[in-house]
Amino acid sequence: MQFKFTRRKFKEDPTIVKHWRENSKAIEKFQFVYNFIPHPTRKKRATLLSNKAIFVYCGIIILVTAALRIVPKFFPGVLGYASNIVVKDLLYYTNKDREEANLPDLRLNAKLTAAAELKAKDMFENGYWAHVSPSGTEPWDFIIGENYDYIYAGENLAKNFSTSKEVVQAWYSSESHRSNLLSANYDEIGFAVVNGVLNGYETTVVVQMFGRPREPSMVASVYEENKVLEEEANKTTAMGQEEQKVPTAQKVITSVTSMSKPKVDVTIATKSLTLVFGGFVSSLLTLDLWYSKKMGISKFSGQTFAHLTMLLIVIVSVWFVLKPGLVL
Amino acid sequence: MENIKEHLTEYIILFIALFIFLVLFIVFRFDRSAQTIISGAGSIFYILWGIIHHAIRERISRTIVWEYVLFGLLIFLLFYTVLSF
Repeated sequence: MQFKFTRRKFKEDPTIVKHWRENSKAIEKFQFVYNFIPHPTRKKRATLLSNKAIFVYCGIIILVTAALRIVPKFFPGVLGYASNIVVKDLLYYTNKDREEANLPDLRLNAKLTAAAELKAKDMFENGYWAHVSPSGTEPWDFIIGENYDYIYAGENLAKNFSTSKEVVQAWYSSESHRSNLLSANYDEIGFAVVNGVLNGYETTVVVQMFGRPREPSMVASVYEENKVLEEEANKTTAMGQEEQKVPTAQKVITSVTSMSKPKVDVTIATKSLTLVFGGFVSSLLTLDLWYSKKMGISKFSGQTFAHLTMLLIVIVSVWFVLKPGLVL
Repeated sequence: MENIKEHLTEYIILFIALFIFLVLFIVFRFDRSAQTIISGAGSIFYILWGIIHHAIRERISRTIVWEYVLFGLLIFLLFYTVLSF
């Protein structure tokens, strides 16, 4: 309304020219709005929607992403993934999936749990994320190291997840991991949920180890399972009361906790970046659509509505579909 | 909305493609590599859609081609920033 009024006034009252000439700042202020709305005479989009501006946004996003990659190398542990993963819930969701597939529940075994814990700590200490360590140590070495005599054994890994349910869901969605989850060859299971700094990022690693003992009579009883669960719960409670960090040769590992709270949560940081840029450009495009229609501005440019639709799809996908976490 | 009515066929193609991409995104929600490929394919599709759309209507210029390339790049980068962590 303001600009329409000014132009009408200009036609009716030529003295307004004098006013503009004497007030260069007023002209600057008048021109400033064209950073946000399309120019009616130039028939162009807002300056902040120009190709140059979009190029700059792309550059900023690349720089921020690079910074999020570089920062952990200089300040390990500052960036990370917040999580709340509990062994009891991991066992519950695993057995729930097995029940739905008409398979017997897996029992929590103390030796497999200890082997899983050793594997998780080994990954933090030696800075790797793999089934086989850089020195060639295999998952079976940890299981045998705990004197677990097996005929079948398997391992699933997960990191950067927020909840126990998401971890099991991710394993279930991957064919190779699902074959472990739903294998009739296993009777027992062991979990480790360990927080620490892996490759500069504070994260929670989950190790799931499966096994069938050579002697069927060796399968853990309900009593033994409850004992393991109790021990896990006690460790979690102790960690909640007091921050217990176990210094190793090079890294700092928080042993068997359920909560991880880094200073900067990478998931929230990256999602916020998407929302800020996607939201800002979407708002400008909406303003462009509305103002162009209102003022009858016909621009020689790309389809504003299509750009807007694409950006809204990005925002919705990033916020509601994308979940953090990797499985191996 | 008049704009959409004017370019109905092109917009129907775009919306169908977006729906397919969204469904694929949900199906592969635990597979980061697949999601990166889907977002890359979606961005390339959008660039091509824009260029073809304007070429058909003989309203194409170098600036418009760059506009679609930059918007396609922006869309991919927004996805990639989240998917790469």
